[in-house]
Amino acid sequence: MMNKNTFFMLKMLCGSLLRRRSRMAVALFGIAVGAAVLLGMVTLCYDVPRQMSREFRSYGANMVLVSAGGEALNLEDATKAAGLLSKDDLIGMTPFRYIPIRNNMLPYTAVGTDFEAVRRTRPYWQIKGNWPTRRNEVLVGADIAEYVLLTPGKTLSIDGRNSRQAKFEADITISGIVKTGGAEDGFIFMSLPDMEAITGEGNRADVVELSISAGEKELKNIVAAVRDRTPSLEARLVKRVTQSETVVLGKLEMLVYLVTVIVLMLTMICVATTMMAVVMERRKEIGLKKALGAENRRIAGEFMAEGAVLGALGGLGGGVCGLLFARLISENVFARTVSVEYHLIPVTVIVSVLVTMAACLFPVRRAMDVEPALVLRGE
Amino acid sequence: MFWKIIFGALTRQKSKLALIAFTVALGVSLATAMLNVMFDVGDKVNQELKTYGANLNVVPKGLSILGEMYALDPAEEVAKRPEQHLREEDLVKIKMIFWAYNIVDFAPYLETKVMLGGQAVTMMGTWFDKHLTLPTGDEVDTGMARMKSWWDVTGFFVRDDETHGVMLGAALAARLNLGVGDSFPIAGGDGEALGEFIVRGVFHSGGDEDNQIFVPLRLAQRIAGKPGLVQRVEVSALTTPENELARRAAQDPNSLSRLEWDTWYCTAYISAIAYQIEEIMPDARVKAVLQVAESEGAILQKTQLLMFLLTVLGLFCSSLAISNLVTANVMERSTEIGLLKALGATTVSVTLLIMTEILITSLAGGIAGYFAGLGFAQIIGRAVFGSAVTAKMLVVPLVALLVLLVTLAGSLPAVRMLLLLRPTEVLHGK
Repeated sequence: MMNKNTFFMLKMLCGSLLRRRSRMAVALFGIAVGAAVLLGMVTLCYDVPRQMSREFRSYGANMVLVSAGGEALNLEDATKAAGLLSKDDLIGMTPFRYIPIRNNMLPYTAVGTDFEAVRRTRPYWQIKGNWPTRRNEVLVGADIAEYVLLTPGKTLSIDGRNSRQAKFEADITISGIVKTGGAEDGFIFMSLPDMEAITGEGNRADVVELSISAGEKELKNIVAAVRDRTPSLEARLVKRVTQSETVVLGKLEMLVYLVTVIVLMLTMICVATTMMAVVMERRKEIGLKKALGAENRRIAGEFMAEGAVLGALGGLGGGVCGLLFARLISENVFARTVSVEYHLIPVTVIVSVLVTMAACLFPVRRAMDVEPALVLRGE
Repeated sequence: MFWKIIFGALTRQKSKLALIAFTVALGVSLATAMLNVMFDVGDKVNQELKTYGANLNVVPKGLSILGEMYALDPAEEVAKRPEQHLREEDLVKIKMIFWAYNIVDFAPYLETKVMLGGQAVTMMGTWFDKHLTLPTGDEVDTGMARMKSWWDVTGFFVRDDETHGVMLGAALAARLNLGVGDSFPIAGGDGEALGEFIVRGVFHSGGDEDNQIFVPLRLAQRIAGKPGLVQRVEVSALTTPENELARRAAQDPNSLSRLEWDTWYCTAYISAIAYQIEEIMPDARVKAVLQVAESEGAILQKTQLLMFLLTVLGLFCSSLAISNLVTANVMERSTEIGLLKALGATTVSVTLLIMTEILITSLAGGIAGYFAGLGFAQIIGRAVFGSAVTAKMLVVPLVALLVLLVTLAGSLPAVRMLLLLRPTEVLHGK
């Protein structure tokens, strides 16, 4: 008996879905669009803050390592400290070492650094000429270049004393002029190995800059971890960068969340209205069924089942489109693929089934309250 | 007759048409909210990015090189010469350039050395929250307190007219064991006593400032013996992201053609603002702080692009929902249309009838939706940025066009299908 009933129900369901193909297609399309928007937006919402946080790294380092004692910082310790971070989060690590030098009796500050790493931690440097590639090639700050009339290709002889007061001399070639509008405009930059060779002192730096893709809270944890693991170092947050990033990123996140919530709400209502329109036109059918002796519960169940099938199909189709969509946006805006959360697809299907069923419920109930005779006669 | 039928349809089919109007209203409110936010997000985010501090540095022509080059050797002799300074009275001019309204805040600085408990300490004079009256009659409040939003301040910022109030950097305060409300003696760089000063606030900045003492500019000028002079000015300006034209102009403004030059000058590029400040302060050099300027541009562009894509998405899904519903509505009225045709209505008049009906409904829904959308935009603006989103008039025609196109596109396939219907078949109930 039960078997027969179920079979009949399935037959009715298939029949009603297939017979009114065009109308069902309209409803299905509406649901699929809703599901696509749902999944696309949720994926983006989840991914955008992380991607934005990487964009904010163009402001440069958000953490610096300095020596805990007064003396110079040991580079091996710094590498060990950087090892505490995951490779993915560490955008760049740049050592800086400052020494006073003289050229033609004029004092300058020479800075030893790693040019490869600088390009990652200070992406805002503008270089006229080339980055140094050969031995004893340097970058000169724009202010010095302008003041002393230096151009790329010129050679300078410099001298000075290292920390043990031993004299050193060297010839350096200018490969490019660096301009930032900040303190860098007044420095001369050379590679750390060159500086080590010239001064005869190696493996040390004054400051190590870290650019880390992480929020303020995580950064504070890192500071604590560095303090515990490498006591010779002290990690400090660059407050201007971290605090401002927290503020601005917080607002952007909230913007994306709010927009997502509003879009989702409206999309769900749109799906519901589409379903309502589809069900409302079938009042006649409901009346006929009632006249033939169908129970209210039975009719409601049938419509619900129909809604569920539509919701599941639309949800699945829309979910896949939504993922593609999210990927498209992410690639266009951030030039990076979005991390796809496959477990979101079943969630989308469930949500669209629920919304569709809920949307059916209201018009079906209203239709059921009507006297069959009245409906059949055409109101 | 035509209008009578329309009126009849509108009143008889209340619930169905109400559903269409409702969906149109939802779609339009979404479109309005997203478009308004999209047009405004650039300005809003730009304002937020001001928390990163100044993006322009104004320095005297001569000092700009020497000051930073001699950073390690105190070049007191060079720094004492008056031509190595800017005049404080000139600063109001910054607010009088072509892009004056894009200058958010600015603050001058004057550095001098004082003796504190036997140690030499850098004393920085500045405007904390200065009220200025421009020669044009406009009133402006500006100063450092607004530009250093990342500072943690215990106590208060000093008032600019105080003669004995100071602020201490956190590291310095800890070293001297001073807190808010304590008073202590300061001696000039040459050891001569200057009297007792009161700590109004202690700040933590995370930078070199933590070892410095901040005082009102007037006080610093008196101590340094440089009345009316300042060393440099930090300016925070709202700027347009740089493009190729701006980069070329920054290298050499004279390399531009006349037309390019006009475009550049009348756009709020950082290089254009820097150029304009140099124009009215001839003895100053203005340097763009690329760390701030470049990053601002990058983030601004990303945010705008993101919002643009989200808006397109919002528009797309609201248009689909509207056209979907219109199609469903037209299709279910096959009997009515069949009857009309049986009674001798022409194809054109039936189409016109249905179109007019739906357009009137959409119009009503669209107007309601527009205002609801303005509401949504305000909610977003208030919640996220704490300020209202300006309603752009450009949104109105855009949304109207959208509704028109979407409703027409939504009803066209259904109308076409209906016109092919044979009256007899439909009326027979097939």
